[in-house]
Amino acid sequence: MRPSRREFLKWSVVSGIGLSLSRFALADIPGFLAHETLPGRGVWHPPVGRVDGVAKVTGAKLYASDFRAADMPGWPVETGHALLVRAPDASHAYEGLDLASLPANAKPTVVVTADDLVRAGIRVPDFYKGDLLCPPGKTPLYLGQPVALLLFEKFDAFDRARLLFREKGLLKFGKETGPVDAPNYGAFRFTRIAGATAASQDVYSPIQEGWISPGFVESSGRPVWTVLPDAKGPEYVKGATYGEAIRAELAKSDPAVLSLVRDFETQSVDPMFLEPEAGLAWYNTGDRKLEIVLGVQSPFEAAGAIAFMLGEANSGFKPNQIDAQYSYIGGGFGGRDHTPFPLYVTLAAMFFPGRPVRLAHDRFQQFQGGIKRHPFKMSSRIGVDRASGKITAFAADHVLDGGGLANYSASVAVVGATGAIGMYYIPKVDVTTVALHSRGVTAGSMRGYGTLQTMTALETLVDEVATALPLDPIEFRRRNALKVGERTMTGNPYSVSVRAPEILDKLEAHPIWRDRKQQKARATVGKLVGTGVACAAKDYGTGADCSLGTVTIDAEGRISIHSDAVEMGNGIGTALANRVAAHLGAVADEVTVAQVDVFDELGLVTSGDPYAISQAEQDAAAANPRWVPSISSATSASIGAHVGTQAAAEAARAVFRFGLWPAALALWGIRATDPRASLWRDAYWQNGVLILSGLSPLPLKAIAAKAHEQGRVTGAMAHAFSRWAWAQATFAVDGEDWTGNIDALAVRQGSGSFQRLDRKTVAFPNTDYNRIGTAFASMCGTTVRIEIDKTTGALRIAKAYSVLECGEALVPEIVLGQSQGGFAMGVGYALLESLPPFEHGPGDGTWNLGRYLVARGSDLPLHDLEIEVLPPLSPNEPPKGMAEVVMIPIVPALLNAIYDATGHRFQSLPVTQAMIKGVLA
Amino acid sequence: MDVRDDLTMNDFLREVLGFTGTKFGCGAGQCLSCAIIVDAPDGTSTTMPTCIVAATEFNGKSVRTVEGHARDGVLTPLQNSFIEHFAFQCGYCTPGFLNEGQVLLERLAKAPIARADVERTIGEALDGHLCRCTGYVKYHQAVRDVILADPDRYLT
Repeated sequence: MRPSRREFLKWSVVSGIGLSLSRFALADIPGFLAHETLPGRGVWHPPVGRVDGVAKVTGAKLYASDFRAADMPGWPVETGHALLVRAPDASHAYEGLDLASLPANAKPTVVVTADDLVRAGIRVPDFYKGDLLCPPGKTPLYLGQPVALLLFEKFDAFDRARLLFREKGLLKFGKETGPVDAPNYGAFRFTRIAGATAASQDVYSPIQEGWISPGFVESSGRPVWTVLPDAKGPEYVKGATYGEAIRAELAKSDPAVLSLVRDFETQSVDPMFLEPEAGLAWYNTGDRKLEIVLGVQSPFEAAGAIAFMLGEANSGFKPNQIDAQYSYIGGGFGGRDHTPFPLYVTLAAMFFPGRPVRLAHDRFQQFQGGIKRHPFKMSSRIGVDRASGKITAFAADHVLDGGGLANYSASVAVVGATGAIGMYYIPKVDVTTVALHSRGVTAGSMRGYGTLQTMTALETLVDEVATALPLDPIEFRRRNALKVGERTMTGNPYSVSVRAPEILDKLEAHPIWRDRKQQKARATVGKLVGTGVACAAKDYGTGADCSLGTVTIDAEGRISIHSDAVEMGNGIGTALANRVAAHLGAVADEVTVAQVDVFDELGLVTSGDPYAISQAEQDAAAANPRWVPSISSATSASIGAHVGTQAAAEAARAVFRFGLWPAALALWGIRATDPRASLWRDAYWQNGVLILSGLSPLPLKAIAAKAHEQGRVTGAMAHAFSRWAWAQATFAVDGEDWTGNIDALAVRQGSGSFQRLDRKTVAFPNTDYNRIGTAFASMCGTTVRIEIDKTTGALRIAKAYSVLECGEALVPEIVLGQSQGGFAMGVGYALLESLPPFEHGPGDGTWNLGRYLVARGSDLPLHDLEIEVLPPLSPNEPPKGMAEVVMIPIVPALLNAIYDATGHRFQSLPVTQAMIKGVLA
Repeated sequence: MDVRDDLTMNDFLREVLGFTGTKFGCGAGQCLSCAIIVDAPDGTSTTMPTCIVAATEFNGKSVRTVEGHARDGVLTPLQNSFIEHFAFQCGYCTPGFLNEGQVLLERLAKAPIARADVERTIGEALDGHLCRCTGYVKYHQAVRDVILADPDRYLT
């Protein structure tokens, strides 16, 4: 099995339901899209700041949870409400609801159960395989599994019922069955043995030999990692034989080699985005159209999953058309990427025909049902040559608790495993990983995506190695840091800049690190002072990343941008506006994000799985000029800049070259035969004025008017695809060949409509790139000084410094903000946040903030946190993903600082005040 | 207007009045995304969470929500400062921070503080508000810069 990190459902499975979406007609109230188009034409906004700045400080309707039926033009005015009832027990048979206990004023109008879904012909998309509602008689597959959907006409009845369910349970359970067993979600082994020299071919590596998985599992569902004859073929046996040889070498007693074996355990946490999941839907029985408003990180996938779910439904449950609209989201952090929530919003509407209905989690429900971060159990062994201080070999075994549904567990396991050696070069590596099913709440995508866990284990181990050698921790890292061109553990080098030496130099020179001994000596009475350091190299990109973007300019020089990327707080709208402004000279005053329905003119088609397609299949499919390997992918903050802005940037480049530039030439009176006519790359913008040396500067407005007057290109729509490299295609535009890092293009001339241009040639990245674990990574290092109160164990972060590199920062203020936010989330993960995995955990429906602690301002060094962003290596270094890497190194740096202060190495997270007090006693 | 006794102020604002600028975060009075400003007759103001307080508790009281800060489209200095500092990211906690910061500014205008106490005072005022995106730094800087930009008003 090859997991798709960003799987999506094809439009072709839609079974006759139209997904071409309509725009709202003008009405008395502004349409949904008007709310989501920012900052808005003619709306005043400050010259600096985010495009969504004014909307967010004035309480404008923006998030999915803000919309009610009355806000939607053409909808009935009244909003119904849905209550998704979830099971707080997963070891007894579920026996139904005690609805008789609800008073008359809290009775639902409609009760939807598992039987109703069967009768309606509802299908479960593969990604969410399992019962959408647990049928009576069955033991819930996991804590928090939905059992019924209650639909209410009035808010008050819903609200009363919600509180009664929370207070009294009202779910009936029968005999004890124990938890439900289910197979593991995926097991992989990554083994690499380098060749004799850096230049020689690897003896064995995943990129050469393919990814391997053992053919046998124990009765517990755990894989058997030892080398057994494998009925599936010799691939696993070959890799595992090399892997076991590495382990044998590590186990050998050799006085020249320092060998350490350590266990490390991490906890379950909640993404705790501040807006609980919410959605609004209306099934209009008149024209059999389902309209739905959602806030997710994966809009294209959500629409496809909904369409699949209803695709074979019985009459009355199968709409003719689905109009899905996507809003800004109140935080995501991965936890809104591929969640089953949109399916339940849809069911609420389909079972309440004609009535707009809202489904919104409260915080108890969000803890009970929202996607969690995987807890990991890791055992690592490392061998280090004492003389050189170089790591000779590394082996690790990871076990992830994936909770109740598969979701992204298999790919989190892969990404965690391939991140297990962090920023280091190690010639012999063997890592096994397995993601298990459990009765816990489902775990999935969350910022760091497995590497937060594995790099925390690694960086604390590295610190211990440095102490044991002994060698300065930064010097040890320097000797082992992967250099540009060297191979990662999957056997490929990074295809982006590698800046570990600069990061280490910065950390070493920083006063926090430089003065650590003096600070320790200066500790006041009753306090312990410690300093820690750690680094991380975090992948970004998924190996099948897509970008859709449209850029238009009107005759007044006003710019509009549409993109499929989702604004989750990461500033994608602002990044889009800035990247387009670099080409077109002005910041757009209309930016819409999370759009998947406005790119029809490209006429895109797809087939196959972008992760599994063969080269021959891809070559054959690519002959169709409308074919692309994948149409739209989920948004994560760490690919926002790199991927989310790509199509819009390329579209803007085309608008400039074939619209504004020829118009400018006309205004300058330069003919096509004049050598200056080809100098478009030398022209540049300053404050909305186009400058080319020796000519009179031209204002954008005049150029735009001329472009429209002459019927030049005034709009472009593009699609881009990356499999660790951008697909590249050539198009004939205005009689010239135009090549871009895109695979589909449509253009608009003057005020005409968009016309698709067939690509003349295309080069998609080879399909064997799918064996790459990751080719893109950014680096970050953190050093932190802490003070611990000897009596209470209370820890205070005195000072911290993080240094990162991310190529070109499209919006430097947002990069800084993401870094500060990542630091805070890392502090919470290291010191505060924890959820019990099973009973008494979030799945029981009693968890909320207060009991679950996230970092507050007073937990952080608000005035003593320094972030340094390294400038790009060259002016043409593209943006790199940075939103995940910035939360990683603070976690192990804190643990290393705690060791420095107390002499104790904690091997699990979080490290609470009580635990510190315990070791000081 | 009649409302049932156990309807929260948060649901009254969001479900009954349609004023969704005030957010719902936890329903437990822990995150303060839902905090609004309550203006007392003596001219002082405080913030109060709305998710755990019945709407009837506010009967006869004067309140301000995020929708009411800007007048005729003109943003307040604090709203402008939030934007200029890129103080928020997803923006969901912003109404609570804005209300808390505004109450603080109004308090300081009546009882100015020493420059040396500014950071601590802001820290204490904002500490109950949870934000998951930003790490709080820019919120604090945004409030501080409004204070420091008008020392005659806010500082002793």
